[in-house]
Amino acid sequence: MIELKQVTKQYGQAAVLKNITLSIDEPGIYCLLGRNGAGKTTLLKSIAGYQNITDGIIKVDGKTITTSALDTGVSYIENFAKHFNLPVRKLLRIASEVNPNYDYDFAWEMMERFELDGKKKFNHLSLGMKTMVSTIICLASNKEVILLDEPVLGFDAIMRVEFYDMLTESFQKHPRIIIVSTHIIEEIANTIQKLIIIDKGSILFFDTLQSVEANAFSISGLQKDVEAATQNLNIIGQDTVGGLVTSYIFDAPPEQTTSLEIRPLSLQEFFIQMVGHKGGVKR
Amino acid sequence: MKAVFAIVKRLLASNKISFIITALVILCATSSGDVALSNGNYTWLLAALTPFFFVFYDFTKLMHLGASKKDYFFACLISYGFLAFCISLVNTVIHILIDPVYSARTVINMMDVCKWTQNGILVAGLQQMFFLLLVMVFLHVLLFMQPHWYGWLTDAVLAAVICIFTPIAPLRAILSGFFRIIMFNGNAVLHIGICLLLSAALSFLGLVVLKRKTL
Repeated sequence: MIELKQVTKQYGQAAVLKNITLSIDEPGIYCLLGRNGAGKTTLLKSIAGYQNITDGIIKVDGKTITTSALDTGVSYIENFAKHFNLPVRKLLRIASEVNPNYDYDFAWEMMERFELDGKKKFNHLSLGMKTMVSTIICLASNKEVILLDEPVLGFDAIMRVEFYDMLTESFQKHPRIIIVSTHIIEEIANTIQKLIIIDKGSILFFDTLQSVEANAFSISGLQKDVEAATQNLNIIGQDTVGGLVTSYIFDAPPEQTTSLEIRPLSLQEFFIQMVGHKGGVKR
Repeated sequence: MKAVFAIVKRLLASNKISFIITALVILCATSSGDVALSNGNYTWLLAALTPFFFVFYDFTKLMHLGASKKDYFFACLISYGFLAFCISLVNTVIHILIDPVYSARTVINMMDVCKWTQNGILVAGLQQMFFLLLVMVFLHVLLFMQPHWYGWLTDAVLAAVICIFTPIAPLRAILSGFFRIIMFNGNAVLHIGICLLLSAALSFLGLVVLKRKTL
Protein backbone atom coordinates (compact mmCIF):
# COMPACT_ATOMS: atom_id res chain seq x y z
CA MET A 1 0.00 0.00 0.00
CA ILE A 2 1.27 3.44 -0.92
CA GLU A 3 0.11 6.46 1.00
CA LEU A 4 1.06 10.04 0.22
CA LYS A 5 -0.08 12.80 2.57
CA GLN A 6 0.31 16.42 1.50
CA VAL A 7 3.55 15.69 -0.29
CA THR A 8 5.46 18.71 -1.55
CA LYS A 9 8.81 18.69 -3.26
CA GLN A 10 10.66 21.87 -4.03
CA TYR A 11 13.87 22.46 -5.92
CA GLY A 12 14.88 25.87 -4.66
CA GLN A 13 11.79 28.04 -5.09
CA ALA A 14 10.22 25.80 -7.74
CA ALA A 15 7.61 23.37 -6.43
CA VAL A 16 7.65 20.19 -8.51
CA LEU A 17 5.12 18.32 -6.37
CA LYS A 18 2.38 20.39 -4.80
CA ASN A 19 0.57 19.08 -1.76
CA ILE A 20 -0.17 15.65 -3.21
CA THR A 21 -2.44 13.33 -1.25
CA LEU A 22 -2.91 9.90 -2.77
CA SER A 23 -3.63 6.43 -1.51
CA ILE A 24 -3.03 3.28 -3.53
CA ASP A 25 -4.45 0.40 -1.56
CA GLU A 26 -4.89 -2.47 -3.95
CA PRO A 27 -2.46 -4.43 -6.08
CA GLY A 28 -2.79 -3.49 -9.73
CA ILE A 29 -1.06 -1.99 -12.71
CA TYR A 30 -1.35 1.78 -12.51
CA CYS A 31 -0.46 4.14 -15.30
CA LEU A 32 1.06 7.49 -14.40
CA LEU A 33 0.43 10.03 -17.12
CA GLY A 34 1.73 13.55 -17.33
CA ARG A 35 3.40 15.96 -19.66
CA ASN A 36 7.15 16.45 -19.64
CA GLY A 37 8.08 18.21 -16.42
CA ALA A 38 4.75 17.40 -14.78
CA GLY A 39 6.51 15.76 -11.82
CA LYS A 40 6.24 12.06 -12.74
CA THR A 41 9.87 11.14 -12.17
CA THR A 42 10.07 13.23 -9.00
CA LEU A 43 6.97 11.50 -7.67
CA LEU A 44 8.28 8.01 -8.47
CA LYS A 45 11.76 8.73 -7.10
CA SER A 46 10.22 10.08 -3.90
CA ILE A 47 8.10 6.94 -3.45
CA ALA A 48 11.23 4.84 -4.05
CA GLY A 49 13.16 6.77 -1.39
CA TYR A 50 15.71 7.90 -3.96
CA GLN A 51 15.22 11.50 -2.85
CA ASN A 52 13.65 13.34 0.05
CA ILE A 53 10.48 15.38 -0.15
CA THR A 54 10.28 18.91 1.21
CA ASP A 55 7.07 18.39 3.13
CA GLY A 56 4.49 15.68 3.84
CA ILE A 57 4.70 11.93 4.40
CA ILE A 58 5.14 8.98 2.08
CA LYS A 59 4.42 5.52 3.43
CA VAL A 60 4.80 2.15 1.75
CA ASP A 61 3.23 -0.74 3.64
CA GLY A 62 3.16 1.47 6.72
CA LYS A 63 6.86 2.26 6.53
CA THR A 64 7.81 5.91 6.14
CA ILE A 65 9.86 6.42 3.00
CA THR A 66 12.79 8.81 2.90
CA THR A 67 16.39 8.37 1.81
CA SER A 68 16.96 7.17 5.40
CA ALA A 69 14.94 4.01 4.76
CA LEU A 70 17.70 1.46 4.34
CA ASP A 71 15.34 -1.13 2.84
CA THR A 72 12.25 0.36 1.20
CA GLY A 73 10.55 -2.65 -0.37
CA VAL A 74 10.22 -0.56 -3.52
CA SER A 75 11.92 -1.30 -6.82
CA TYR A 76 12.37 1.68 -9.11
CA ILE A 77 13.99 1.80 -12.50
CA GLU A 78 14.63 4.73 -14.76
CA ASN A 79 15.28 4.42 -18.48
CA PHE A 80 18.94 5.40 -18.37
CA ALA A 81 19.79 3.27 -15.34
CA LYS A 82 23.49 2.47 -15.09
CA HIS A 83 24.53 -1.13 -14.68
CA PHE A 84 27.79 -3.01 -14.42
CA ASN A 85 29.23 -3.62 -17.88
CA LEU A 86 28.78 -7.37 -17.64
CA PRO A 87 27.10 -9.98 -19.85
CA VAL A 88 23.33 -9.80 -19.49
CA ARG A 89 22.98 -13.27 -17.99
CA LYS A 90 25.62 -12.47 -15.38
CA LEU A 91 23.86 -9.21 -14.57
CA LEU A 92 20.58 -11.08 -14.05
CA ARG A 93 22.36 -13.60 -11.82
CA ILE A 94 23.92 -10.88 -9.67
CA ALA A 95 20.52 -9.20 -9.38
CA SER A 96 19.12 -12.52 -8.14
CA GLU A 97 21.86 -12.71 -5.51
CA VAL A 98 21.36 -9.21 -4.14
CA ASN A 99 17.54 -9.40 -4.11
CA PRO A 100 16.18 -11.87 -1.55
CA ASN A 101 12.86 -12.52 -3.36
CA TYR A 102 14.14 -12.38 -6.93
CA ASP A 103 12.34 -14.57 -9.48
CA TYR A 104 15.31 -15.83 -11.48
CA ASP A 105 13.21 -18.14 -13.68
CA PHE A 106 11.00 -15.24 -14.73
CA ALA A 107 14.04 -13.09 -15.53
CA TRP A 108 15.65 -15.86 -17.56
CA GLU A 109 12.42 -16.59 -19.44
CA MET A 110 12.03 -12.90 -20.30
CA MET A 111 15.64 -12.69 -21.44
CA GLU A 112 14.99 -15.51 -23.88
CA ARG A 113 11.61 -14.21 -25.01
CA PHE A 114 13.03 -10.79 -25.82
CA GLU A 115 15.92 -12.46 -27.61
CA LEU A 116 18.44 -10.69 -25.41
CA ASP A 117 21.88 -12.06 -26.07
CA GLY A 118 22.93 -13.31 -22.64
CA LYS A 119 26.59 -13.15 -23.60
CA LYS A 120 26.46 -9.54 -24.72
CA LYS A 121 27.79 -6.97 -22.30
CA PHE A 122 25.37 -4.34 -21.03
CA ASN A 123 27.14 -1.36 -22.62
CA HIS A 124 27.03 -3.06 -26.03
CA LEU A 125 23.23 -3.28 -26.00
CA SER A 126 20.94 -0.83 -27.82
CA LEU A 127 18.96 1.70 -25.74
CA GLY A 128 15.82 -0.41 -26.03
CA MET A 129 17.62 -3.58 -24.95
CA LYS A 130 19.26 -1.78 -22.02
CA THR A 131 15.88 -0.54 -20.87
CA MET A 132 14.49 -4.04 -21.26
CA VAL A 133 17.23 -5.50 -19.07
CA SER A 134 16.56 -2.85 -16.41
CA THR A 135 12.83 -3.54 -16.58
CA ILE A 136 13.29 -7.31 -16.28
CA ILE A 137 15.53 -6.83 -13.23
CA CYS A 138 12.97 -4.50 -11.67
CA LEU A 139 9.97 -6.78 -12.30
CA ALA A 140 11.83 -9.94 -11.24
CA SER A 141 12.80 -8.34 -7.92
CA ASN A 142 9.28 -9.22 -6.72
CA LYS A 143 9.21 -6.28 -4.34
CA GLU A 144 5.77 -5.19 -3.22
CA VAL A 145 5.93 -1.94 -5.15
CA ILE A 146 7.39 -1.70 -8.65
CA LEU A 147 7.94 1.69 -10.25
CA LEU A 148 8.81 1.83 -13.95
CA ASP A 149 9.72 5.26 -15.25
CA GLU A 150 9.08 5.43 -18.99
CA PRO A 151 10.03 1.80 -19.59
CA VAL A 152 9.05 1.74 -23.26
CA LEU A 153 11.43 4.51 -24.29
CA GLY A 154 13.54 3.15 -27.14
CA PHE A 155 11.29 0.12 -27.72
CA ASP A 156 10.04 -0.69 -31.20
CA ALA A 157 6.33 -1.51 -31.69
CA ILE A 158 6.85 -5.27 -31.28
CA MET A 159 8.91 -4.87 -28.15
CA ARG A 160 6.25 -2.60 -26.69
CA VAL A 161 3.55 -5.22 -27.24
CA GLU A 162 5.80 -7.88 -25.70
CA PHE A 163 6.50 -5.56 -22.79
CA TYR A 164 2.80 -5.08 -22.02
CA ASP A 165 2.36 -8.87 -22.10
CA MET A 166 5.31 -9.27 -19.76
CA LEU A 167 3.82 -6.71 -17.39
CA THR A 168 0.51 -8.56 -17.29
CA GLU A 169 2.20 -11.96 -16.80
CA SER A 170 4.42 -10.63 -14.05
CA PHE A 171 1.42 -9.14 -12.28
CA GLN A 172 -0.65 -12.31 -12.62
CA LYS A 173 2.22 -14.35 -11.22
CA HIS A 174 2.76 -12.00 -8.31
CA PRO A 175 0.01 -9.41 -7.79
CA ARG A 176 1.46 -6.20 -6.38
CA ILE A 177 1.42 -2.48 -7.02
CA ILE A 178 3.06 -1.67 -10.34
CA ILE A 179 3.16 1.97 -11.46
CA VAL A 180 4.22 2.66 -15.03
CA SER A 181 4.84 6.15 -16.31
CA THR A 182 4.56 6.53 -20.04
CA HIS A 183 3.68 8.90 -22.87
CA ILE A 184 2.28 6.20 -25.15
CA ILE A 185 -1.19 6.27 -23.70
CA GLU A 186 -3.41 4.20 -25.95
CA GLU A 187 -1.11 1.19 -26.10
CA ILE A 188 -1.05 0.62 -22.36
CA ALA A 189 -4.81 1.02 -21.95
CA ASN A 190 -5.49 -2.72 -22.19
CA THR A 191 -2.87 -3.52 -19.57
CA ILE A 192 -3.68 -1.11 -16.75
CA GLN A 193 -6.39 -1.01 -14.12
CA LYS A 194 -6.16 2.57 -12.93
CA LEU A 195 -5.00 5.85 -14.28
CA ILE A 196 -3.16 8.63 -12.45
CA ILE A 197 -2.85 11.97 -14.24
CA ILE A 198 -0.37 14.45 -12.87
CA ASP A 199 0.04 17.99 -14.13
CA LYS A 200 2.23 20.79 -12.81
CA GLY A 201 2.92 18.81 -9.64
CA SER A 202 -0.70 18.08 -8.75
CA ILE A 203 -2.78 14.94 -9.18
CA LEU A 204 -5.63 15.79 -11.54
CA PHE A 205 -7.18 12.37 -11.86
CA PHE A 206 -6.98 9.02 -10.10
CA ASP A 207 -9.59 6.48 -11.07
CA THR A 208 -10.28 3.37 -13.13
CA LEU A 209 -10.30 3.19 -16.91
CA GLN A 210 -13.96 2.14 -16.69
CA SER A 211 -14.66 5.48 -15.08
CA VAL A 212 -13.07 7.23 -18.06
CA GLU A 213 -15.06 5.08 -20.49
CA ALA A 214 -18.29 5.79 -18.63
CA ASN A 215 -17.86 9.51 -18.11
CA ALA A 216 -15.51 11.05 -20.68
CA PHE A 217 -17.38 12.39 -23.69
CA SER A 218 -17.23 15.10 -26.30
CA ILE A 219 -20.41 16.95 -27.20
CA SER A 220 -20.44 18.88 -30.46
CA GLY A 221 -23.07 21.14 -31.94
CA LEU A 222 -24.23 24.71 -32.13
CA GLN A 223 -23.09 26.79 -29.21
CA LYS A 224 -26.57 27.28 -27.69
CA ASP A 225 -27.39 23.57 -27.94
CA VAL A 226 -24.09 22.48 -26.43
CA GLU A 227 -24.35 25.04 -23.64
CA ALA A 228 -27.86 23.93 -22.84
CA ALA A 229 -26.88 20.25 -22.83
CA THR A 230 -23.79 20.70 -20.66
CA GLN A 231 -25.22 23.28 -18.27
CA ASN A 232 -24.78 21.31 -15.05
CA LEU A 233 -22.06 18.98 -16.22
CA ASN A 234 -18.36 18.85 -15.37
CA ILE A 235 -16.71 20.43 -18.43
CA ILE A 236 -13.00 19.66 -18.71
CA GLY A 237 -12.31 21.45 -22.01
CA GLN A 238 -13.82 23.26 -24.95
CA ASP A 239 -13.03 23.91 -28.62
CA THR A 240 -14.71 26.42 -30.86
CA VAL A 241 -14.50 26.27 -34.63
CA GLY A 242 -16.68 28.88 -36.34
CA GLY A 243 -20.12 28.54 -34.80
CA LEU A 244 -19.53 24.94 -33.88
CA VAL A 245 -18.63 24.17 -30.29
CA THR A 246 -17.20 20.98 -28.84
CA SER A 247 -17.35 20.56 -25.08
CA TYR A 248 -15.46 17.80 -23.33
CA ILE A 249 -17.11 16.52 -20.22
CA PHE A 250 -16.30 14.13 -17.42
CA ASP A 251 -19.78 13.35 -16.24
CA ALA A 252 -22.86 11.33 -17.15
CA PRO A 253 -23.57 12.10 -20.82
CA PRO A 254 -26.69 14.11 -21.71
CA GLU A 255 -29.55 12.66 -23.73
CA GLN A 256 -28.70 12.20 -27.40
CA THR A 257 -30.55 14.68 -29.61
CA THR A 258 -30.41 15.30 -33.33
CA SER A 259 -28.62 18.64 -32.85
CA LEU A 260 -25.79 17.13 -30.80
CA GLU A 261 -23.01 14.73 -31.59
CA ILE A 262 -21.96 12.85 -28.52
CA ARG A 263 -19.02 10.46 -28.59
CA PRO A 264 -16.77 8.85 -25.98
CA LEU A 265 -13.28 10.24 -25.56
CA SER A 266 -10.25 8.12 -26.18
CA LEU A 267 -7.76 7.90 -23.33
CA GLN A 268 -5.42 10.25 -25.17
CA GLU A 269 -8.15 12.81 -25.80
CA PHE A 270 -9.21 12.61 -22.19
CA PHE A 271 -5.62 13.13 -21.06
CA ILE A 272 -5.13 16.11 -23.36
CA GLN A 273 -8.33 17.71 -22.11
CA MET A 274 -7.42 17.04 -18.48
CA VAL A 275 -4.03 18.68 -18.70
CA GLY A 276 -5.74 21.48 -20.62
CA HIS A 277 -3.07 22.46 -23.11
CA LYS A 278 -2.81 22.38 -26.85
CA GLY A 279 0.10 23.78 -28.78
CA GLY A 280 1.27 25.67 -25.72
CA VAL A 281 -1.93 27.73 -25.60
CA LYS A 282 -4.21 27.25 -22.66
CA ARG A 283 -7.76 26.54 -23.72
CA MET B 1 23.45 -12.44 4.68
CA LYS B 2 23.40 -14.04 1.23
CA ALA B 3 22.75 -10.63 -0.33
CA VAL B 4 25.53 -9.02 1.71
CA PHE B 5 28.09 -11.58 0.57
CA ALA B 6 26.87 -11.30 -3.02
CA ILE B 7 27.55 -7.56 -2.79
CA VAL B 8 30.97 -8.22 -1.22
CA LYS B 9 31.78 -10.48 -4.16
CA ARG B 10 30.66 -7.82 -6.64
CA LEU B 11 32.53 -5.03 -4.86
CA LEU B 12 35.76 -7.01 -4.94
CA ALA B 13 35.22 -8.15 -8.52
CA SER B 14 34.66 -4.61 -9.77
CA ASN B 15 37.78 -3.41 -7.98
CA LYS B 16 40.06 -4.99 -10.60
CA ILE B 17 41.64 -1.71 -11.68
CA SER B 18 42.80 -1.02 -8.11
CA PHE B 19 44.30 -4.51 -7.88
CA ILE B 20 46.09 -4.13 -11.21
CA ILE B 21 47.48 -0.65 -10.46
CA THR B 22 48.66 -1.77 -7.03
CA ALA B 23 50.25 -4.95 -8.40
CA LEU B 24 52.03 -3.01 -11.16
CA VAL B 25 53.39 -0.45 -8.72
CA ILE B 26 54.58 -3.18 -6.32
CA LEU B 27 56.29 -5.10 -9.11
CA CYS B 28 57.78 -2.14 -10.96
CA ALA B 29 58.82 0.14 -8.09
CA THR B 30 62.58 0.44 -7.67
CA SER B 31 64.80 2.33 -5.25
CA SER B 32 68.34 3.59 -5.70
CA GLY B 33 71.04 4.39 -3.15
CA ASP B 34 71.82 2.80 0.19
CA VAL B 35 68.31 3.19 1.53
CA ALA B 36 65.54 1.32 -0.26
CA LEU B 37 61.80 1.56 0.21
CA SER B 38 60.20 -1.82 0.69
CA ASN B 39 57.93 -2.72 -2.21
CA GLY B 40 55.47 -3.94 0.39
CA ASN B 41 54.72 -0.32 1.28
CA TYR B 42 52.99 0.08 -2.04
CA THR B 43 50.36 -2.47 -1.06
CA TRP B 44 48.80 0.42 0.85
CA LEU B 45 47.89 1.92 -2.48
CA LEU B 46 45.06 -0.61 -2.71
CA ALA B 47 43.58 0.77 0.51
CA ALA B 48 43.67 4.28 -0.95
CA LEU B 49 42.15 3.33 -4.32
CA THR B 50 39.42 0.91 -3.25
CA PRO B 51 36.99 3.40 -1.61
CA PHE B 52 36.87 5.43 -4.84
CA PHE B 53 35.48 2.41 -6.71
CA PHE B 54 33.10 1.37 -3.93
CA VAL B 55 31.66 4.86 -3.69
CA PHE B 56 31.69 6.27 -7.22
CA TYR B 57 31.42 3.13 -9.34
CA ASP B 58 29.56 0.47 -7.40
CA PHE B 59 26.95 2.24 -5.27
CA THR B 60 24.54 3.45 -7.96
CA LYS B 61 24.84 0.26 -9.98
CA LEU B 62 24.13 -1.94 -6.99
CA MET B 63 21.09 0.17 -6.10
CA HIS B 64 19.82 -0.24 -9.67
CA LEU B 65 20.23 -3.99 -9.32
CA GLY B 66 17.91 -3.82 -6.33
CA ALA B 67 20.39 -4.03 -3.47
CA SER B 68 19.36 -2.31 -0.26
CA LYS B 69 21.42 0.45 1.35
CA LYS B 70 21.69 -1.67 4.48
CA ASP B 71 23.25 -4.60 2.63
CA TYR B 72 25.60 -2.24 0.75
CA PHE B 73 26.76 -0.69 4.02
CA PHE B 74 27.58 -4.02 5.67
CA ALA B 75 29.12 -5.35 2.47
CA CYS B 76 31.46 -2.36 2.30
CA LEU B 77 32.57 -2.87 5.91
CA ILE B 78 33.20 -6.58 5.33
CA SER B 79 35.10 -5.83 2.11
CA TYR B 80 37.28 -3.21 3.80
CA GLY B 81 38.00 -5.63 6.63
CA PHE B 82 38.88 -8.40 4.19
CA LEU B 83 41.08 -6.12 2.06
CA ALA B 84 42.80 -4.70 5.14
CA PHE B 85 43.62 -8.27 6.16
CA CYS B 86 44.91 -9.19 2.69
CA ILE B 87 47.01 -6.03 2.26
CA SER B 88 48.49 -6.48 5.71
CA LEU B 89 49.23 -10.14 5.01
CA VAL B 90 50.98 -9.35 1.71
CA ASN B 91 53.05 -6.51 3.19
CA THR B 92 53.98 -8.68 6.18
CA VAL B 93 55.05 -11.54 3.89
CA ILE B 94 57.08 -9.11 1.77
CA HIS B 95 58.66 -7.72 4.95
CA ILE B 96 59.60 -11.21 6.14
CA LEU B 97 60.66 -12.79 2.86
CA ILE B 98 61.67 -10.12 0.34
CA ASP B 99 62.98 -7.17 2.40
CA PRO B 100 65.90 -9.24 3.89
CA VAL B 101 67.09 -10.04 0.33
CA TYR B 102 68.43 -6.48 0.05
CA SER B 103 71.04 -7.20 2.73
CA ALA B 104 73.46 -4.53 1.51
CA ARG B 105 70.89 -1.78 1.83
CA THR B 106 68.63 -0.44 4.53
CA VAL B 107 65.08 -1.33 3.62
CA ILE B 108 62.34 0.89 4.98
CA ASN B 109 59.01 -0.75 5.56
CA MET B 110 56.17 1.31 7.02
CA MET B 111 55.63 -1.38 9.63
CA ASP B 112 59.04 -0.47 11.07
CA VAL B 113 58.54 3.28 10.64
CA CYS B 114 55.26 3.10 12.53
CA LYS B 115 56.99 1.14 15.33
CA TRP B 116 54.57 -1.76 14.93
CA THR B 117 57.32 -4.39 14.56
CA GLN B 118 58.43 -3.65 18.15
CA ASN B 119 55.70 -6.04 19.25
CA GLY B 120 56.59 -8.88 16.90
CA ILE B 121 55.63 -9.42 13.31
CA LEU B 122 52.22 -10.97 14.02
CA VAL B 123 51.05 -8.06 16.17
CA ALA B 124 52.57 -5.65 13.65
CA GLY B 125 50.44 -7.29 10.96
CA LEU B 126 47.35 -6.86 13.11
CA GLN B 127 48.15 -3.22 13.85
CA GLN B 128 48.66 -2.60 10.17
CA MET B 129 45.36 -4.28 9.36
CA PHE B 130 43.34 -2.15 11.76
CA PHE B 131 45.12 1.01 10.64
CA LEU B 132 44.32 0.25 7.00
CA LEU B 133 40.71 -0.47 7.93
CA LEU B 134 40.56 2.99 9.51
CA VAL B 135 42.07 4.59 6.40
CA MET B 136 39.58 2.90 4.08
CA VAL B 137 36.55 3.70 6.23
CA PHE B 138 37.73 7.32 6.54
CA LEU B 139 38.17 7.67 2.78
CA HIS B 140 34.82 5.98 2.14
CA VAL B 141 32.95 8.44 4.36
CA LEU B 142 34.85 11.43 2.96
CA LEU B 143 34.14 10.40 -0.64
CA PHE B 144 30.50 9.64 0.08
CA MET B 145 30.07 13.18 1.39
CA GLN B 146 31.57 14.84 -1.68
CA PRO B 147 28.37 15.55 -3.63
CA HIS B 148 26.96 17.39 -0.61
CA TRP B 149 27.84 20.74 0.95
CA TYR B 150 29.04 19.06 4.13
CA GLY B 151 31.54 17.08 2.07
CA TRP B 152 33.10 20.24 0.75
CA LEU B 153 33.03 21.74 4.24
CA THR B 154 34.85 18.70 5.60
CA ASP B 155 37.47 19.02 2.83
CA ALA B 156 37.95 22.67 3.70
CA VAL B 157 38.22 21.92 7.43
CA LEU B 158 40.76 19.14 6.82
CA ALA B 159 42.82 21.37 4.52
CA ALA B 160 42.60 24.22 7.02
CA VAL B 161 43.66 21.97 9.92
CA ILE B 162 46.73 20.79 7.99
CA CYS B 163 47.62 24.29 6.79
CA ILE B 164 47.15 25.99 10.14
CA PHE B 165 48.39 23.23 12.45
CA THR B 166 51.58 22.51 10.49
CA PRO B 167 53.41 25.89 10.74
CA ILE B 168 52.43 26.76 14.34
CA ALA B 169 54.57 24.81 16.79
CA PRO B 170 52.03 24.15 19.60
CA LEU B 171 49.36 23.16 17.09
CA ARG B 172 51.89 21.07 15.22
CA ALA B 173 52.53 19.16 18.43
CA ILE B 174 48.82 18.37 18.67
CA LEU B 175 48.73 17.21 15.05
CA SER B 176 51.80 15.05 15.42
CA GLY B 177 50.41 13.68 18.69
CA PHE B 178 47.29 12.65 16.85
CA PHE B 179 49.29 10.85 14.17
CA ARG B 180 51.48 9.26 16.86
CA ILE B 181 48.33 7.72 18.32
CA ILE B 182 46.65 6.53 15.15
CA MET B 183 49.75 5.62 13.15
CA PHE B 184 53.20 5.82 14.75
CA ASN B 185 52.20 3.91 17.82
CA GLY B 186 54.24 1.09 19.37
CA ASN B 187 51.58 0.36 21.96
CA ALA B 188 49.62 -2.32 20.13
CA VAL B 189 46.62 -2.47 22.42
CA LEU B 190 46.17 1.31 22.45
CA HIS B 191 46.75 1.54 18.71
CA ILE B 192 44.33 -1.23 17.76
CA GLY B 193 41.78 0.08 20.26
CA ILE B 194 41.97 3.63 18.87
CA CYS B 195 41.80 2.41 15.26
CA LEU B 196 38.77 0.25 16.01
CA LEU B 197 37.06 3.03 17.94
CA LEU B 198 37.64 5.58 15.19
CA SER B 199 36.59 3.07 12.52
CA ALA B 200 33.36 2.41 14.42
CA ALA B 201 32.71 6.14 14.85
CA LEU B 202 33.42 6.81 11.18
CA SER B 203 31.24 3.85 10.15
CA PHE B 204 28.41 5.33 12.15
CA LEU B 205 28.99 8.67 10.44
CA GLY B 206 29.10 6.82 7.12
CA LEU B 207 25.70 5.31 7.90
CA VAL B 208 24.29 8.78 8.59
CA VAL B 209 25.70 10.03 5.27
CA LEU B 210 24.39 6.94 3.46
CA LYS B 211 20.92 7.63 4.83
CA ARG B 212 21.02 11.08 3.26
CA LYS B 213 22.35 9.79 -0.03
CA THR B 214 20.07 10.48 -2.99
CA LEU B 215 20.09 8.77 -6.36
